[in-house]
This record gives sequence, structure tokens and C-alpha cells, in this order.
Amino acid sequence: MTPAGSLLAAHDLRKAYGPTNALDGAEFSIHPGEVVAVMGPSGSGKSTLLHCLAGIVTPDSGSILYDGREMATMNDAQRSALRRSEFGFVFQFGQLVPELTCVENVALPLRLNGTGRKDAERTALSWMERLEVDDLKAKRPGEVSGGQGQRVAVARALVTNPRVLFADEPTGALDSLNGERVMELLTEAARSANAAVVLVTHEARVAAYSDREIVVRDGRSRDMERIV
Amino acid sequence: MGVRFAFTGGREGWGRLLLTAVGVGLGVALLLLTAAIPNVLEKRDERAAARMLFTYTDREVSKGDNTLLAADATTTYREESVGGALLQPEGSRAPVPVGVDKLPGAGEMVVSPALKELLGSDEGKLLRDRLRYRVVGTIADTGLIGPAELLFYAGGEGLVLDPENSIVVRIDKFGSEDDGSSDSPLDPVLLLMVLVVFVVLLTPVAIFIAAAVRFGGERRDRRLAALRLIGSDSRMTRRIATGEALAGAVLGLCFGAGFFLIGRQLAADIELFEISVFPDYLNPSLGLAALVAVAVPAAAVLVTMLALRGVVIEPLGVVRTARPARRRLWWRLLLPLGGLAMLYPMIGNGRDNGEFNEYLVTGGVLLLLIGVTALLPWAVEVVVARLGSGSVSWQLAIRRLQLSSGTAARMVNGIAVAVAGAIALQMLFTGAEGEYTEYTKNDLTRAQMQFTVPEDVPLASAVGKFTETKGVRQVIAYSEGYVGERRKDSQLFSSVTVGDCASLREVATLPSCRDGDVFAIKGAADDDATAKLVELGRPLYLDPSDSGLPRSTEAAWTLPKDLKQAQPRMDPTGIERGGFLITPSALPAHAAPAVTGQLYLKLDESVPDVRDLVRNTAARIDPLVEPSLWASSQRSDEYENIRVGLFVGASCVLLLIGASLLVSQLEQLRERRKLLSALVAFGTRRRTLTMSVLWQTAVPVGLGLTLAAVVGITLGTVLLKMSDIPVSVDWMSVLSMTGVGALVVMGVTLLSLPPLVRMMRPEGLRTE
Repeated sequence: MTPAGSLLAAHDLRKAYGPTNALDGAEFSIHPGEVVAVMGPSGSGKSTLLHCLAGIVTPDSGSILYDGREMATMNDAQRSALRRSEFGFVFQFGQLVPELTCVENVALPLRLNGTGRKDAERTALSWMERLEVDDLKAKRPGEVSGGQGQRVAVARALVTNPRVLFADEPTGALDSLNGERVMELLTEAARSANAAVVLVTHEARVAAYSDREIVVRDGRSRDMERIV
Repeated sequence: MGVRFAFTGGREGWGRLLLTAVGVGLGVALLLLTAAIPNVLEKRDERAAARMLFTYTDREVSKGDNTLLAADATTTYREESVGGALLQPEGSRAPVPVGVDKLPGAGEMVVSPALKELLGSDEGKLLRDRLRYRVVGTIADTGLIGPAELLFYAGGEGLVLDPENSIVVRIDKFGSEDDGSSDSPLDPVLLLMVLVVFVVLLTPVAIFIAAAVRFGGERRDRRLAALRLIGSDSRMTRRIATGEALAGAVLGLCFGAGFFLIGRQLAADIELFEISVFPDYLNPSLGLAALVAVAVPAAAVLVTMLALRGVVIEPLGVVRTARPARRRLWWRLLLPLGGLAMLYPMIGNGRDNGEFNEYLVTGGVLLLLIGVTALLPWAVEVVVARLGSGSVSWQLAIRRLQLSSGTAARMVNGIAVAVAGAIALQMLFTGAEGEYTEYTKNDLTRAQMQFTVPEDVPLASAVGKFTETKGVRQVIAYSEGYVGERRKDSQLFSSVTVGDCASLREVATLPSCRDGDVFAIKGAADDDATAKLVELGRPLYLDPSDSGLPRSTEAAWTLPKDLKQAQPRMDPTGIERGGFLITPSALPAHAAPAVTGQLYLKLDESVPDVRDLVRNTAARIDPLVEPSLWASSQRSDEYENIRVGLFVGASCVLLLIGASLLVSQLEQLRERRKLLSALVAFGTRRRTLTMSVLWQTAVPVGLGLTLAAVVGITLGTVLLKMSDIPVSVDWMSVLSMTGVGALVVMGVTLLSLPPLVRMMRPEGLRTE
């Protein structure tokens, strides 16, 4: 059953990689503007859940409804278009294109959507200002620190005004100070844009920025409130 | 430690090591093959010298029980030479050629294994008709130059020694009395071609080896970063990297030796341009093999050190490459300019058999070609820095090229060098071919083969036999000779052509003609003698003698009173013939031996094997006289073979480089797997990423091939000027070689697309 008013909801998701069941009947829902932390130990299936919800990976069975549309019925091009225009992503590693400057990296999703270079970079710069990294606009990712790079990545994730932001361990490679600053900026920016945030983490400190937490264990998800 | 790392890297480490070793091994095998070439040439010369019929000695060999009469009976079958000799012993101790146990009797022959196979096959049917001897034995390998050589020795019958004619010789042993080596220096242009071919084909191999030792370089850098974390300093990491490269290179040497030995065994089954070699010829000279064994590991170390120069390996697994310093042009220009400076002093040396300094030629060509590898990174950097942004795929590609133009340039370096060298060589060959075609003037529309009728064969009989031969459209028959004003030591010479009116009309324009007429050709180029002989008005002598030589026919002949005039025209050989034209009944009977029959044969080339049908007819007339295929056609075929050979060789080198390109390309893609997956995750179209990879290849390839064309044409121009051949650019060669280069790169890119698509799958985001 889909909770009323939810923007993105998944029911009975199953996904196996070979003999390993990454998801085994997982449930999920999120409302617009809500921040939901997906927690769990390494290998519990939380990243797989995020990949399924974002249409990156197709589940073996189960249903995912985004804004009333069943994602299983969409083809690869439609799901790609959805990710380009409605979703934003922040990963732990390897998401910035090393040869592009920071502003070009942030502008990239807009350019993929067909926005002209100048307009895209202007918008990108305004997001970089909000995330306090506008002074890095001409630098390449290899020339900035991990925390700065992650803030550039958050700016890139938000530049298209996505309705859902997927963040997979966004502070995993950062020290606590940098991690906290990134989380503050991320949640602030998302809330001001009324974007839902699916936040995968195994750190309670990071999960504290969420409105709600769910735990994934052995491929099954449970709402935190029920087990507390 | 580096060596240990090379061998203990798990499956991935072994894969990387194997790749490097195979790459280096292929290069080493090619180098060893090249190192064996001097030995191959020497062995072939030795074997050829050991069975020579002509001993090149002034010593008179008188008849004895240890002599034999021998005649060269070499023939051509399907444009391939079939060596042969007729041997007629004059006593029981007559010499036996190397590789033969016993001299064949009359009507018998011993043959090489390859000829035996050919004669036994359907393909050899026409040759069986020509060599109608019974096969009684096989020539052993020791008597052959190569395993695929076609050779026979047949028992002679009725051979007579003729002092005026050296077709039949008397020998008491086989083989030249000198060491078989020729004292005359190699034609300078040919020497130039050989040197350039070596440099052009080997330079890309060296570049390929350099590329092979860098396989897996980025992963190695990450491993080195891990070592930094546990306390190794940058000098130690460099030593470890060097050790690792050394291990790959040494294993590559072993692989190369293995490939070479396998190839050596297979060599016996390979024949290229009628050249085959026995495996035991392929022994690399010790010095050159030692040079390869030292140079390859040394190059591996050098390349690794150079590669590490621009990399900062830090702990925490981070390898940060700072924006590289701007590349400078001045020292890069020094290489090609130095090359030109080395070649410049030799301009025009090909004229009048001048000489080329081998070291300057090799050094100059090498510097020019290496100059491509030095200039290309600069050119790529300068050009991509100026390229504006366009679509996302273009931007991704250009930004990547701007960040690492060196990697892109390295990827196409080998291709560019191979193409530049091939263009230069093609220009040289085409120029040389053009020269030759200008020199020969045979009119191939009027005749394609020529046959000199032996003295003892009546001209009419030979004409009849050729006329009946399938595929012969027309036989133009003449008896040709010379006439002088004196019986002996004439000062004036003019040619005499005897033939019927129809044949004479092929060589001159006649006012009218009937049997019994004699004509003097007036105004032919380079013929003053005919007019002077006519003015003398006294008896002339056909086939006059010369002092110190055996007496000739010296047949007296008086010009008739009604001598007619003819106008010159191009004869079938392509020259303006002068002299006297005589119809058959106007030639006195006693003068007949003074002229030699010549037949010019016009063929229907659509008849299969028409040339061999003609050769079979010739063999029936006299097995020792082979009709000649006209020179311009034959020569042009040889040049075509060389050009095709070069094209094939260059294409093979390009394929070799293409293989290394593919490995580097896949390695780079693997390095970016996570990034590619992330880009796809946030909605980047796969087409955009694919196009970006294509642009990343196309831009440096376009620049590389343009530079290759410029350097190739420059080198080609210099080589032609050195050979004193008029400079002309063979655009077809330029286009074909750059086209092949572009095709290889496009092929590599296409082959890398399926792995690219696989790497763009979201599974790349998984870390567990």
C-alpha cells in the first residue's frame, strides 16, 4: 500500500546479486520536503535500495511509484530522463568529473537537460554561492579538498531543482567538522527547495539531520519508530 | 620489491604482467627477426655462390674426366622464377652440385621439394609440359637457398661449348672462386630505401615496446601510494616502480625469445616475394641480440622514470597530478630540424652513383620520426587549449584532452610515426618507379613478349610455332644485325632489319613495299651513320669483326641502286629505329648468318596463362632461350610488389600499435568506471558519453595524422631530393596511409565501445 501523499514509495522490493539477496521485501516512502535517513550496517542493502528508488537499478520484483507513476513500466531512456530532471545525486566518491572545472561540474546536469552553457554556469554559480564554494569555480576537482569537493557535488545535485535528492554516504570520506557543514548546507538547501532527501548513511550523527529514519537489515526495511 | 610486486599481484597483477610481457615480447620478436636479417642475407648469398655455374675466373678449364658442360635453363612460371641448369658430364669425376647425390642422366632431372610439389599438382600442369624430364631425385636442403625455392638440374644432351656464346660453360666445380660477395657497392638509392625501411618499421616497434611497459601504470601508481602510506619515500617508490617495469620487460624478453623461436620454426612455410628462408638462417647476430637484450629492459626503466616524472604519488591512495607545465616548442623542434640537418648534406648524392652515409641517413630519418613524438604532445596541447566548448560530449572530451593531452598524444604517437614513415617511403618508391617508367619506352599495346631465335633455328619455323600458340595474336618477325663500312674495325655502324613488308611497316613508314626492296631510314634520332654509309656508295659488311675478338660473319653486301627512303616511326620497343630495312629476298643467302631472328609477340592477355603458353613454345624450340617479358611491365610489377609489401608491413605495424592502443584505451576506461556509472546515474545519456570517447580519440588522431602527413611529406621530399628524383607528392599514398591509420584508431574505438557500455552500468556504483 502506498502511504497517502508520498512522492516516492516502494513496496515489497526484492533484488538479488547472484546468491546474495540485497533486498528482500523492502518498503519505503517519502513525502515532498521530507528528509529520510536509510541506516544499516555495511552490506545490509541500503545502497541497493537507493539505487532501486532512483531508477539506477531495476528491482527483480516489487513496485516503485514516483509521483503516481510506476517506475517498472519505464524504459531506460525514461528513467534516465527522470534522473536528469527530477532527481539529484550525491555519492561518497568519484562523482565529479576530474577534467571539468567545479562550475562546469555543477552546470553539467543543466547542460544535459539542454540549457545553454552560459545560463547553466550562471545558475551553477548561484548554487555554489549558497554552498559557499563559489571561489572554487575555476578549479578542477583534483585541486580542492574533500569537503569542498563534496559541497560542489551537493550544488550539482541541487542545481536542477530536483524533487528528490539521493545522497549515498555523502559525508563518508569527510572529517566530522566538514561532514556536519556539508549536512547542514545539504538539508537547508533541500528544505528551502522543498526537495525530498533520501539519505543513506550508517552514522547516527548524519542521520540526526533527517526527519525520519528507517533501518535496512538483511534486505528488509523497518521504520525506526517501530523498533524503538 | 618491485619485481615481487610484479609477480604477486593476484589475478589482476598477473594479467597486467602478462599483457606487458606479451606486448614487449611481440616487439622483441620483431627486433630479433631484424637482427637475424644480415645472417639470412649472408646464408642465402653463400648458398647461391656455392652452386654457381659461372666461376668468374680467367682460368681455362680444359675437357677432362672431372669436367661437365653446364647451361643455365632458368625459366619463369606464372611470373615466378624456376631456377634450373642442364648438366652434361664429360667424365666419371664430373662435379655434382651441392645437395645432389648423383648427376641426372639425359632426359632425367632432380628437383627441389617445392618444385616436386608444384609439378605434382594441377597448378603445375603447364610447367610439366615445359620440363619434360623424368624426376629421379630430390635436391637436399643444403643445395637450396630457401625451402620454397623452385629449382631443377636436368641431364643435358648435345650441349656444345661455343666460344662466341657463353650459354654453355665448362666447369670442374660448382661455385664461384671468389667468396660470392659482390665488390660493387649497393645502389645508393636502394641502400637508402633499405635503411629507411628499417628505421620506419622499427621506430614504431620501439614506441610499441615503450607503450607496453606502461600498461597498468595507473593502478601501479595507486599501489605505490599505499606504500607511501606505510612510510616509503618517493625515491623508494620510484625504485619499486622501476623494478616492476624491469620485471615486465625481462619477462617480455623471454616471451619475445619464445615468439621468435616459434616464428623461426614457422618461417619454413612462409614465402614472401619469392623469398623463403630455412629456420637455421634466422640466427640473430650475437651483437644485435645482446643489444636487444640490454636495450629493452633499459628502455623499460627509462620510460617508467619519465612516466613517473609528472606524477606526484602521495599517501592515502591519492595520486594528484598538478596541472602540467606548459610544453615548450623549441627543444621539440630541435629533433626534426636536427634530422633535416643530418640529411641535407646528402641531397643529390643519388646522382651518378654517389654515396650515402648510412649513419647520417639512419640518424636523420630517426630524428625526424622521433620528432613526431616530440611535437605531437605540444601540438595537441596548443590546439585543444584553443578549442571552444560545444555540446556536452565535446566539452567532456576537450576538457579531458586539456587536462591530459600527453596521454592522448602518447596513444597516437606510434600510429603517427608509422604513418609518417610509410608516407615518406611510398613517396620514395613512387618517385623511383616514375623514373623507371620514363626510362623504358616499350609499346605494350603492340607487343608484350620478345623472343630471340637461336642461330640454328629457321626464323619461319619459329614464327610458325608461335603463330600456332594459343593466345598469340600477332608475331612480328625480324632478323636484326649491324652493318659497317669495313670488314674489320668499322668506324661507322648502322642497324639492319630484315622482314616482310608488314613487319617493316611496324618500324618505319614506307612509301611502297614489295619483296626485294631495300630502304634506308632517313632522319631517325641518333643515327648519322646510315646517311654516311649511303654516301660512301661502296660494299658494306654485315656483322663486321673487331680486333681481338673471334672473327664474325663479315658478309659483304652492296646497297642496291634503287635504294628507297623510309621515314622513321616508333618501333614496338619504343625507339626510333634507324639503319637499313631489307625485305627477305633482298638479303643475299651468304649474309643470312649475319643476322639474328627477333620475334615480337602480341598477346591476348585474356587467355589464361598466355605467357606460360608462349614460354612452353619457346622451350620446345630451345630450352635454353627464354622469351623476355617486356621490361616496363615487369619492372612495374616489381615496384608494385615492393609497394604492396611496404603497405602490408606498415599495416601490420599499425595493427600491432592498434593492439596496444586498445589495451591503453580499455585501461583508461576501467579507471573511470565509477565516474562513468555516476554520470549515468544522474541521467547522462549513454550516447553523450560514447560521443565523448569518440571525440577524445578523434581529435588527437586527426592532429597526429595531420602532423604525420606533414612530416612524412617533408621526409619523402628530402629522400627524393637525396636520390635526385623529381619531387612529386603521391596523394593517393598519403590518403591511403593516413586512412589506414585512422581506420586502426576508429577500429580500436569501436572495439572499446562494448566494454564502455558495460562500464556505464549502475553496478559500477556498488562498493560491496
